[in-house]
Amino acid sequence: MTSHVTTSIEPTGIRWQSILPIVAVLALAAVGFVSSDYIVTVLGFAFIYAIFCTGLNFFMGYTGQASFGQSAFAAIGGYGSAILCTDYGWEPLLALFATMVLSGVAAVLVGYPTLRLRGHYLAMATFALGLIVYEITIEWTALTQGYMGYSGVPPLGVAGFTLDTLKQQLVVLVVISLIGVGIAARLRQSRFGRALASIAGSESAARALGVDIARYKLIAFVIAALYASAAGSLFAHFVGFISPEVYGTTMVIQSFAMLYLGGIGTMWGPMIGAIIVSILPETMRGLKEMQDIAYTAVLILILIFAPRGLAGLSVLFRRTRVRVLEKA
Amino acid sequence: MNVRYWLLALATCTALAGSAQAEDTFKIGSSVGLTGYAAVIDRAWRDGLAVAADALNEKGGILGKKIEVITEDNKSQPQDAVVGYRKMISSDQVSLFDSGCVSAGNFAAAAFVMQAKLPMYLCSILPQRDKEQEWAFSFLAPPKFEIEARYRYIKEKTDIRKVGILYDPTPYALMMKGLGEQLAKDFGLEVVAQETYKPDDADMTVQLGRINAAGGGAVIKIGQGGSTVTAAKNIKQLGLDKMLLLSSNDDGSIFQQAGQVLGDRFFFVAPPVQLPKQLKPGPAKDAVDAFLKYWKPKYPDRDPANSARAWDSMMVLAKAAEIAKSTDGTALRDATQKVPSYVGAYATFNFSEKQHVGITENPFLIGKFATGELVVAE
Repeated sequence: MTSHVTTSIEPTGIRWQSILPIVAVLALAAVGFVSSDYIVTVLGFAFIYAIFCTGLNFFMGYTGQASFGQSAFAAIGGYGSAILCTDYGWEPLLALFATMVLSGVAAVLVGYPTLRLRGHYLAMATFALGLIVYEITIEWTALTQGYMGYSGVPPLGVAGFTLDTLKQQLVVLVVISLIGVGIAARLRQSRFGRALASIAGSESAARALGVDIARYKLIAFVIAALYASAAGSLFAHFVGFISPEVYGTTMVIQSFAMLYLGGIGTMWGPMIGAIIVSILPETMRGLKEMQDIAYTAVLILILIFAPRGLAGLSVLFRRTRVRVLEKA
Repeated sequence: MNVRYWLLALATCTALAGSAQAEDTFKIGSSVGLTGYAAVIDRAWRDGLAVAADALNEKGGILGKKIEVITEDNKSQPQDAVVGYRKMISSDQVSLFDSGCVSAGNFAAAAFVMQAKLPMYLCSILPQRDKEQEWAFSFLAPPKFEIEARYRYIKEKTDIRKVGILYDPTPYALMMKGLGEQLAKDFGLEVVAQETYKPDDADMTVQLGRINAAGGGAVIKIGQGGSTVTAAKNIKQLGLDKMLLLSSNDDGSIFQQAGQVLGDRFFFVAPPVQLPKQLKPGPAKDAVDAFLKYWKPKYPDRDPANSARAWDSMMVLAKAAEIAKSTDGTALRDATQKVPSYVGAYATFNFSEKQHVGITENPFLIGKFATGELVVAE
């Protein structure tokens, strides 16, 4: 259940190509800024999922491990923020950071024994983690209110300033998601990132090179949990309501679709995947009952023709450019 | 130059035609779970709305405007519900929502629907916050009515005095479970066991065994779907020959399947529309007949219960629009509170400023499956 490392498929060192995705994201945000609340909502969810998937990419893409349980940390973030802000009057931003710390600690406690497992066993263990937290959100009604959910979660804000409109919230989500990608990119190019790539390539070889496998896996797992927690909190503040269904298996499936469609192990893949998977069904809303069939058909076609994800297509452009230059 | 002229004229005509059509249409938004756990109920809700819209349109629509029901599938997920609600507000510009039974989806949207000043007619329970409740109207029977109907039957028709409650963890079921504990004493009953299950559980023998061990002679099953059939099968498998199963209101097909397994030991809560043959002449029968006149030709083999509720919600809306003489959201909200008592196909609805749960009188009968059909349990 490990995936081959694909960290070298993107071109580096060409400045305009590095800037292009940022420009595209900002352009998309600008479109949202002049659109209706409906479009803003769709884009808002896309950027929240982009943060979630960027974190998941650390563990699954860069480190080559399988995790089906990241929704557990999103639930900790979401419920933590909802409870702290609604019942205890905390500042949303403070609650977001506090729940990230809580998720990080939970990830260490859970990851330390769990990450000794490998392959399918690790996948099953992380899936169980997601199911356990999902059950807790349903059954521990005194804390989570069960299926009734938490209403009235305030929008994101700090020091008395609240982001009252959806468009203000969209701007913040775009900024946070870009910061998330930026941090991921820096870490990936660091010694730490190269160690993760070596683990993804071959654990035995990485160990021979002196990489502390268990430690690096745990750190990657914790980073993924921090991102997931932030995404869970942002969801709660963006919608103003959460219930167990939000952090269920649907979230896991959706994030996997985003990760593989965008390009697992690539820098911009999670963001591209999140945007495509969020927007694509909306473009097919007019098909009504055929919407899901058409949507999944398009997803399958994309995965057939771009097996490394949409971000991986940049390699094709690079090859074409090289051929053109060689001919010239 | 001529071509430009014609194109401009064509564009103007198209725009005017579009706006005229929009003015002549009364748009109702409906967020329904056409897939996912709420699919059975919400598909019935959608079809009930469509049948009611057809019936009202035959008579000229609402305030002379043709009714258009716009449905968006929320996949029984709050996130999809939020997107659908936003779309219906921004793009479709609906005047009102008449949405299905996905409570979490309706709760998630309630805050911004309230800000948009649009009333929400709901198949589900009301949102939790008072401000949101001011804009929401529930067409769901209060949970105590289903409990009372079953307890009354046990008290009056059986010797059983100890019962067990088997419930799923959905909001409506949890409310009903809490009331089940409180109301038992009023009927001289004792709740000896409370067991929970998940709607997709394939086996409940452990829970049923515990209820039996605690001395429970009847199971008050709270929750809908195939789990009722599973419970019936498990009672039979365990050889609990004297245990009764009393189910929540549900689709008629579920009652038939469970009834085929347990025979005369299976009972269920049913509104009059589910047992139309037993109705006596009167306003309730007239209302049921008015609904079935449109429903049966289109869906001869389908259970009408949840569609009847949707039908009733549209009829209440039509009356509210008559009072409001406007399709403005605030006017419709205020007028809904002034609609006089309405005898519907599912129940009688009494809305007021302080009463946003419309069903105030217990409409439920106790039914059973006998001789191949659903009948009133005598």
